[in-house]
Amino acid sequence: MLEHLLQQASLEPEAAEKIRRFEAQKAFSLHWELKTLLYFGVLLLNAGLGYLIYDNIDHIGHMAIIAFIGVISAACFGYAFRHRKPFSTGPVESATPYFDYILLLGCLMFLVMEGYLQFQYQLFGERYGLVTFIPMVLFLWLAYVFDNRGVLSLGITAMASWVGITLTPQDLLTKNDFNSHTITNTGIAFGAFMCLVTFLGERLDIKKHFSLTYLNFGVHIGMIACLAGMIALDLSLIYFPLLCITVGFFLWYARTRGSFYFLTVAVLYGYIGVTYLILNNMQGFETEFYLFYFFFSCIGVILFLTNYKRFIKKVAP
Amino acid sequence: MIAYNREWLDALLIRTTAHSWHKNGLLSNEQLVALQEQKPAPFYSPNLFIRIGLGIFCLILMYAVMGLFALTGMLDSEAGLTAFGLFWAVIWIVLLELWIIRSLHHYGSGLDDMLLYVATSTFLGSIYASFPSWAEPVVYCWVALPFLVAGSIRYLDRLMAAAAFGCTLLIILLTVNEIPKLALYLLPFSGMAFSATVWWWVRKAQQRVAWRHWQGIFVIVELLCLPTFYASGNYFVVQQVGADQFNLPQPPIGWFFWSFTFGVPVLYLALGLRLKDRLLLDIGILAVAVSVFTFRHYHHVMPLAWVCTIIGAVVFVAAYFLIN
Repeated sequence: MLEHLLQQASLEPEAAEKIRRFEAQKAFSLHWELKTLLYFGVLLLNAGLGYLIYDNIDHIGHMAIIAFIGVISAACFGYAFRHRKPFSTGPVESATPYFDYILLLGCLMFLVMEGYLQFQYQLFGERYGLVTFIPMVLFLWLAYVFDNRGVLSLGITAMASWVGITLTPQDLLTKNDFNSHTITNTGIAFGAFMCLVTFLGERLDIKKHFSLTYLNFGVHIGMIACLAGMIALDLSLIYFPLLCITVGFFLWYARTRGSFYFLTVAVLYGYIGVTYLILNNMQGFETEFYLFYFFFSCIGVILFLTNYKRFIKKVAP
Repeated sequence: MIAYNREWLDALLIRTTAHSWHKNGLLSNEQLVALQEQKPAPFYSPNLFIRIGLGIFCLILMYAVMGLFALTGMLDSEAGLTAFGLFWAVIWIVLLELWIIRSLHHYGSGLDDMLLYVATSTFLGSIYASFPSWAEPVVYCWVALPFLVAGSIRYLDRLMAAAAFGCTLLIILLTVNEIPKLALYLLPFSGMAFSATVWWWVRKAQQRVAWRHWQGIFVIVELLCLPTFYASGNYFVVQQVGADQFNLPQPPIGWFFWSFTFGVPVLYLALGLRLKDRLLLDIGILAVAVSVFTFRHYHHVMPLAWVCTIIGAVVFVAAYFLIN
């Protein structure tokens, strides 16, 4: 096979010889397997410990367990701090191969400890916002200090819950009356905020490679909130323009940054919105009308997508 | 035999290989550029996300078109339904061949994939619709198999190849299941024999330069053989099938299946390291996990919490030291 390729490539003899030697000596790396195993080890250990504690809660005593979890978490963070590389606004290489996993373990343990404290002792009482606010601040800070996108995702999730909890009036939650307006608007604002953070980051040149994580949260939360406003709240007049703006923004982002992902996602969400609008507002037509709509709209979208090269200005490196 | 331009497929293979050589510092920039100019492969193969988007919209489009024609009232009889399906299957294949592949040069663009899938499913569906209700399941498989095989050969499609593999396995198992008295004993061994044979053949096939274009298909089939082989003799699977089909709470020669359950993962790991085969190794690791679960299903040695904790700790520590 290799010989066939070399022959087809018609390289100079020295280059071909170099490649032959390389392919013959190529090391078989187990790195990926080991990392995955490490990751599963962390997950299993976490699940097992959590379950164990749940089972033996009568024998051990709560404080001992909390202290134990706290020690693990602190040890992980201590390790991370001892081995950390100097802070930089750009991407930073992991200090050791398992650095990221230990950091992740520390964060998860922290969450378990906090949840435990709240569940058992109501440490934060009714102030649920605080329960999510603390991990949010901690994780976001850690993400920037250690340049870790996994922890960043945890932090953004904590932020989303914090915003959701804080902005939703408590009595609505307890009365089980789900206030969709607040949630929807919060979602849109949150999505917009994620985009803003991305732009500040890119403008100020701080952790530009975090953009994708932020925008990924932003695009899905923002678009789903817009669609929810259209479909669940039935306020297309307000939310459809918002959806259009969001789609337009992400199309522009895809065009300037060469991102195929955001192009496809924006087109898909936009199509769902337009289709809903048409099907909902044009009832009572013959079935042919709807089928023709799908026919022509799909042709349009396919033409647009197949000509992506003309739309996207440059391809991301 | 292949619908796509073979010269370009060859060029594509060299271009991707050259890229990896270049990344490893074996080719200079000039060499890479020269090679790419020498070997053009002007396929239309967009990015994965575009491919997914195109696939989704192509699917909606095709069903809208078929829906529009269905409204004309062709579907009022069973024969009409079959004729309708066959007609559209032919239309889609002709479109795929002459327009999408021949003139637009699509290759893995989402459009060619989806056209193939919809054509095949419409075709098979319309044939199935004309079957009498007493037709055996194995007949359905026999009808589908040639088309799945032809589709995977002609369009180098991995999903088709996977379906063809599953279809063949099903035919064998359904046939063996009909053998009176011996079915219970033969079922696991026929599964093992089939997977082992296919695996051996696919490994050989991957070495053949003449078959280089089907490399992706061979890898997928190899990937499917390994779990199928393991599952054929896994104690849990054998026991469940025995209880389900033959009302046997305990399968015969249990010791054999137990040793198979634990032996095969070890075999996979050893072979994987020996042959430096990532597929074997990864599936071996998964098989170890499945074996542990199988064991736990029958023997409750300790509570789940302890198992998780201990295994997690062991795996964590082992991986930590191995990385070091």
